[in-house]
Amino acid sequence: MSAFTLVRLLPLSLGLNGSAANAEILALSLEHSGHDAHIVDVHRVGDAPAEVDAVCVGSGSASSMRPAAAQLIPLLGLVNLWRAQGAFFLAVGTGWDLLGVSVTTPEGEVLPGAGIFPSEADHQSTRFSGEVAGVDFRGRPSAGYVNQVGAVTLHEGGKSLMRVEGPQSGYPREEGLIAKGLLGTRLGGPALALNPHWCDDISQNVLEKRGESRHTAEFHNRVANAAAQARTGIERRLGISRG
Amino acid sequence: MGLIIAFGVAKVVRFLTRLRGGGSAFPGLVVLRLLPHVLERTLGGLPRGVIFVTGSNGKSTTTTMLAGILRAHGLKVFTNSAGGNLPQGLASALVGSASLRGRLPADIAVLEVDEAYGTHIAHLIQPRWVVITNIQVDQLNRFGEPEAVYRMLRDLSRMVSAGVLVNGGDPNAHALGSELEAEGFRVEHMAVSAEASASAAHGLVPAPLFFERLAVSLSKPVLSVVSVAGAQVDLDFRGPVFALRMPQPGLHYAVDTGLAAAMASVVLDDGFKPETAIAALEVLTPVYGRGETITYKGRDIALIMMKNLPSLQANLDAVTHPLENVWISVDEGTPDPSWIFDTDTSALSSVSVLSGTKAWQWVSLLEHRGIPYGHVVEDTKAALERFVAEAPPSAGPLNAIVNYEQMMRIRRLAGYKELEGTR
Repeated sequence: MSAFTLVRLLPLSLGLNGSAANAEILALSLEHSGHDAHIVDVHRVGDAPAEVDAVCVGSGSASSMRPAAAQLIPLLGLVNLWRAQGAFFLAVGTGWDLLGVSVTTPEGEVLPGAGIFPSEADHQSTRFSGEVAGVDFRGRPSAGYVNQVGAVTLHEGGKSLMRVEGPQSGYPREEGLIAKGLLGTRLGGPALALNPHWCDDISQNVLEKRGESRHTAEFHNRVANAAAQARTGIERRLGISRG
Repeated sequence: MGLIIAFGVAKVVRFLTRLRGGGSAFPGLVVLRLLPHVLERTLGGLPRGVIFVTGSNGKSTTTTMLAGILRAHGLKVFTNSAGGNLPQGLASALVGSASLRGRLPADIAVLEVDEAYGTHIAHLIQPRWVVITNIQVDQLNRFGEPEAVYRMLRDLSRMVSAGVLVNGGDPNAHALGSELEAEGFRVEHMAVSAEASASAAHGLVPAPLFFERLAVSLSKPVLSVVSVAGAQVDLDFRGPVFALRMPQPGLHYAVDTGLAAAMASVVLDDGFKPETAIAALEVLTPVYGRGETITYKGRDIALIMMKNLPSLQANLDAVTHPLENVWISVDEGTPDPSWIFDTDTSALSSVSVLSGTKAWQWVSLLEHRGIPYGHVVEDTKAALERFVAEAPPSAGPLNAIVNYEQMMRIRRLAGYKELEGTR
């Protein structure tokens, strides 16, 4: 069978602070399951592959949002086509905001988003920078570092990705979005490295679409152990105890 | 309060904190509390003024090199060499150098200044010159985005009385220089040739900035970094080219060297002698903790700084052979180490020990990159002991990849008692 194709969307504008690595992490997970995977960076229509299994988009700075939004406009047809074809979308931070319904800028202007994610972002409130931990929609410990302005409101069809247990204040009690074929989060950087269970979910999704099964290898166990240890450190710093 | 009492108290505090191996900024806090205008009173009247050195990376090394060159030309220089780049750090350095009457035996001050505090300090002491090393991705948890740093450095640059020197090899610093020149400021620059830039696998690692910049080239450079090969650099002083062996290898050290020499040539004008500058630079030792090699239990340990992505990448790019016998130690001084996933780690062949509260995030990266690693020992002291005990006797210098806070801790554990800025 042909290799799995992972698109990394606009990585020069939306790939800040390790967030571009999520595509590599997903590709490695698939490869260690016994499946070939390759990453295609898409900056313009001409870069786009014919078939896409998953789309990864990272985060950017506040100043990169408008340029990224402008770069996204000519790609909207493709993005919608990939969604219609059943590709999984993983989006982090500003990338998630731009793939949502709309983004309200700090100045109050409402920019239309790609409409892939049932969510809208508002960048008018202050920036939060700090570690965040909790449990996800399946009760699995999940954690990361958020460094972003504003807040996100979920629309119908989108559920919270995780319930936040720490910090106790200063950050919303719910984080991220999960929906069929969609995962959005404000946990910045390589969110899949700290939360390989999400990587497993996405792998499972794209493999099932191709009628393939997922095999857990020693690599997956080692990666999961490192992530669990790292998350435990975050939980300890946030005062979360799992007994 | 009187100068003599304030400086007397601060000097006693300094003596006591150094005995305890405590923080270097505390005497500065004391003197600032007792004499809120101490910086203006002591530094404001220096005959050749004050130079600020700022930017994302290279501040400490450039500051030390510039001070060394100026001293070699016979000037008495006050500096906060290596660190202490916040107001309390500057004041601490003053406590060490000034007399009880607050007199500073100096002709000129060369001050490393934190990007975010630059304008604040400039309101206290107007800089004659500002040197801008670069604008790179750094401390996103603090600054939000590199564009914010660009704006901070622009605001600071507008406060100079003479001019600004920028690293023309960094497109962001170059753009800032162009903008300032268009506003009527005197802007000098140091150029970096394409050949020199290509000497490092990832070049000068500038931040991607997302706003419109002036596409205007600066005029003739004061100095050019012509080529870099390991620790060897060729500098073009507007005609004669001088070869120099730097204390440390790498393009980033060459840039710091070039900036220091360029600033000195502008400040000293006709009094500047390239041969004197070269001789001064060749005898400088690495700046505290930056590429420094320390010794513990008879083993040499090279400290490789991972302050941020550009600094770690520049240090890894400067490595001439794959690194073995590596200890990685990172703690809360790096609140969000996500950026390590952006680093090209091909220079790392294996890692022996990892420590610090962020060790497991590094382990995650090593697992994904297929780089073998040994033990995770969260406590730094236990990790140091294990690292040294298990290193093969025949191995050359050991390597410790550390963030700033762990560098300080490891130096203390190894018996290096002097604090940053006190040497």
